[in-house]
Amino acid sequence: MNSDDASGIIELRRILSERFPHARTWSRSAPAKTHSFWPTGLPRLDSLLQGGLGRSAITEVASPGSGMGGALLLRALLRQCGHTGRLMGLIDGSDSFDPGGLEDSVLSRLFWVRCKTAEEALKAADILLRDRNLSLIVLDLKMNPAAQLGKISGATWYRLQRIARQSATAFVALTPQPMIASAETRLILESRFTLDALTEDQTQLLAELKFEMARSVAGEESQEAAG
Amino acid sequence: MFAVIYIPDFELQAALRLEPELHSLPVALLDDAPVKAAVLQLTGPAREAGVCRGQTSTQAMARCSDLVLKTRSRAREETVTAMLLQCAYGFSPTIEATAQGVCTLDLMGLPAALDPQNWAKNILDALEQLQLQAQIGVAETPHLAWLGAKQARPFLLAQDAEPFVAALPLEFLEPAADILEILEMWGIRTVGAFLALGKENIAQRFGPEAVDLFDLASSRRVRPLNRVVPAEIFEEAMEFEPPVESLQPLLFVLRRFVEQLARRLELLYLVVADLQLRLDLASGEAYERQFVIPAPTRDVETLFRALQTHLENVRTDSPICSLRLGARPGRAANYQFVLFNAALRDPAQFHQTLARLTALLGSHRVGTPRLVETHRPDSFRMDLEGITTPRDQEPCAAQNQEPSIGPALRRFRPPLPATVEMRAEKPALLRSPAFTGPIAAVRGPWRLSGHWWDREAWTRDEWDVQTHHGELLRLARQEEEWFVDGIFD
Repeated sequence: MNSDDASGIIELRRILSERFPHARTWSRSAPAKTHSFWPTGLPRLDSLLQGGLGRSAITEVASPGSGMGGALLLRALLRQCGHTGRLMGLIDGSDSFDPGGLEDSVLSRLFWVRCKTAEEALKAADILLRDRNLSLIVLDLKMNPAAQLGKISGATWYRLQRIARQSATAFVALTPQPMIASAETRLILESRFTLDALTEDQTQLLAELKFEMARSVAGEESQEAAG
Repeated sequence: MFAVIYIPDFELQAALRLEPELHSLPVALLDDAPVKAAVLQLTGPAREAGVCRGQTSTQAMARCSDLVLKTRSRAREETVTAMLLQCAYGFSPTIEATAQGVCTLDLMGLPAALDPQNWAKNILDALEQLQLQAQIGVAETPHLAWLGAKQARPFLLAQDAEPFVAALPLEFLEPAADILEILEMWGIRTVGAFLALGKENIAQRFGPEAVDLFDLASSRRVRPLNRVVPAEIFEEAMEFEPPVESLQPLLFVLRRFVEQLARRLELLYLVVADLQLRLDLASGEAYERQFVIPAPTRDVETLFRALQTHLENVRTDSPICSLRLGARPGRAANYQFVLFNAALRDPAQFHQTLARLTALLGSHRVGTPRLVETHRPDSFRMDLEGITTPRDQEPCAAQNQEPSIGPALRRFRPPLPATVEMRAEKPALLRSPAFTGPIAAVRGPWRLSGHWWDREAWTRDEWDVQTHHGELLRLARQEEEWFVDGIFD
C-alpha cells in the first residue's frame, strides 16, 4: 500500500465518522489489544519479536530462497514445545516434514497434518485454528508450487486472521515469499546455508539465523533489520 | 412402605415412545402373531373411533380409515423395561421387576420426613422425560401399592388400608371370568362387598380359587421383594420403514436417542464414556462405529456433534433399515482423561477437529509421527492412538537430547527421480524435474543397508550435494536409480 492509498483511507474514515458519528468503525470500536507472546526459546528471535510469536495473530516467516533455515526454525519451535510440554499443530502443505532425528518425547507434542496441496492446507488450517487446544500452529507452504499459492485469495488470509484473533493460538505461516496481507508480523529469513553447514551443530546454526522484520504488530512497514 | 410404578398400556407406550406425537392420533398396536394379528392396545382417539381390543387389523381399519397400525416390538419393550428399572434404581436401592411395566420399590431407609407425593412426582417427571406416562401407588404392602398404582391418577397414597381396599372395584383383584360373572349377578361389585361375604361362605360356593382371592384382598402380609440390580446397558434402537436414504432423518432420530440416553444416565449419575453406532443396511450389511468420548460427558450437544461430524462424511451403498445407538457409561469423577491428557483444554472439541481433519485428508495423513526401528530413511508411521495415549507426560529435558547436526531436511514424497552424471565416482551433474545443473560440492557417499536377512533387503548410497545455484540436496542411489530425496532448509 503506498502513502497515497493510506492517506485516502484516513480521509475516508474521517468523512464517515463526521457523517455517521454513531457508526462503529473498526479502528475505534476494536478494543486495544493486549498482546501475549509464545516464546520461541531463540533469544535473537524473541528479542526481535519483543517477547515471542504473537498469540491471536498471524506471523509470516518468508524465506525467498532455498537453504534459508525455515525447516530448521520449524524443528526449533517443535523442540520448544517438547521442552515446555505444549502441543504444536503442523499443517504441512506439501508433506515435506522429516520427523527423523527427533526424540519420541518431542514428536509426541506434534500434531502433524500432511497435506498435498496448498488448498488442502488452508482448509486444514481453518479447521485447526477453530480448535482452542493447540498453543502453536505452523502452516508450512514453503514447498508448495507458485501456481498453487497464486490461487489463494486475499480473503482467505483475512478469514484465518479473524479466526486467529478469537483464539489464543500463535499462528505461524512459512512461505516462499511475502504473501499474507493480514499477517501482523512478517519476518524474512536472510541466512543461506552452504554444504559446510551440514557438519555444524543445529544450536549454532539457529543462533546464526538472520531475520529481517518486514512488518511490525501495527502493520507498519518498518524495515527494521536484525542479525 | 412400598411404592409401585405402573406403566399402563406398556406395550403401546414402548412402541410409541420415540414418536410421542402419535399419542394424539388413532393408533392401534397389533400383537406380533404371524397370522391374523389382533389389536392389543390402542390410543384414546382410536378407542373413540370405535376400534376395540381383539379386532383384526382389517376390522380395525374398517372402523377407522385413518388408523395408524403399529406392530408390537419386543426389543423396544426390553429397552423400556431397562429404562424403568434404571429410573427406579435412582430412587431406591431395593427394587423388583414385578411384571412387564410394573416395578416395586421398597421405601425402607428413605428419610422419614420424605413427602411421598413429592418423591413420586420426581419419579413421574423423570419418566416423562423418557416419554413414559406412569402411575404410582404407595402403601404398606407391595400388593396394596400395586392396587394403588392401578387406581392412581397419577399418584395415590393408600394410608388407611381397610377403606381403600373396600372401595376398590372387584375387577382389580383380577378374578376368573365365571366367578366375576356370578358375583356381579349377586350385585357384588367392590372388594369390600366381596370380603363381607366371609371366607367360609366363599370357600363353600366358589372353591379354593376364590379363597385365594379372599386371602389376597384381606392379607396385610409383606412379601419379600425379588430384588434386582438393573444392568448398565444403555441402548436405543429404531427400525425405519421405509429405509432411510439421507442424513437428515437419521440425525433427527439420533438426536432423540442421545437425549434419551443422556437422561437415563443422568438418573444414575453416570456419563457417557463411549458411543456405539450400528446402521443395518438394506443390503444386509452393517456399518458399525465406536466413538470414544475423550472427556466423558452427558452433554447432548457434545455427544451429538461427535456423531454428526462423522456421519456427514459417511456414504453407504444401500439405504439404512435400522439404527442402534448404545452408550457405555463411565463416571465423571476418577475418570482418567486420555486424549492428549491434561495438555488439552477441551478434549471433546479436539476429537471433533480430529474427525473433521480425518474426513478431509484421511486417517493416514493426520496424527502424531512415530519413528520405526529401522535405518531405512523416512520410516515412520502416523499414530492416532499415540495422541490418545501420550508417550511422555513430562516435558522433555533439553540436556538429555543429543545435539543435532546440520540444517533440517525437507523430504520429497515420493522422491524425485533424477539422472546423475558421475565424475571421479562423485555426482557431477544433476538432471531432475525440479533441479538441473552442475553440482558444485559433494559430501558422501553414506552407505546404508538393512533387512539383509530377508526379502526386504535394501541398500542405498546417499550424497549431500550443493548445486551450482546453491541448493543443498540429498541424493540417493538405490538399485542403480537416482532420486532427489530432499532439500536442506
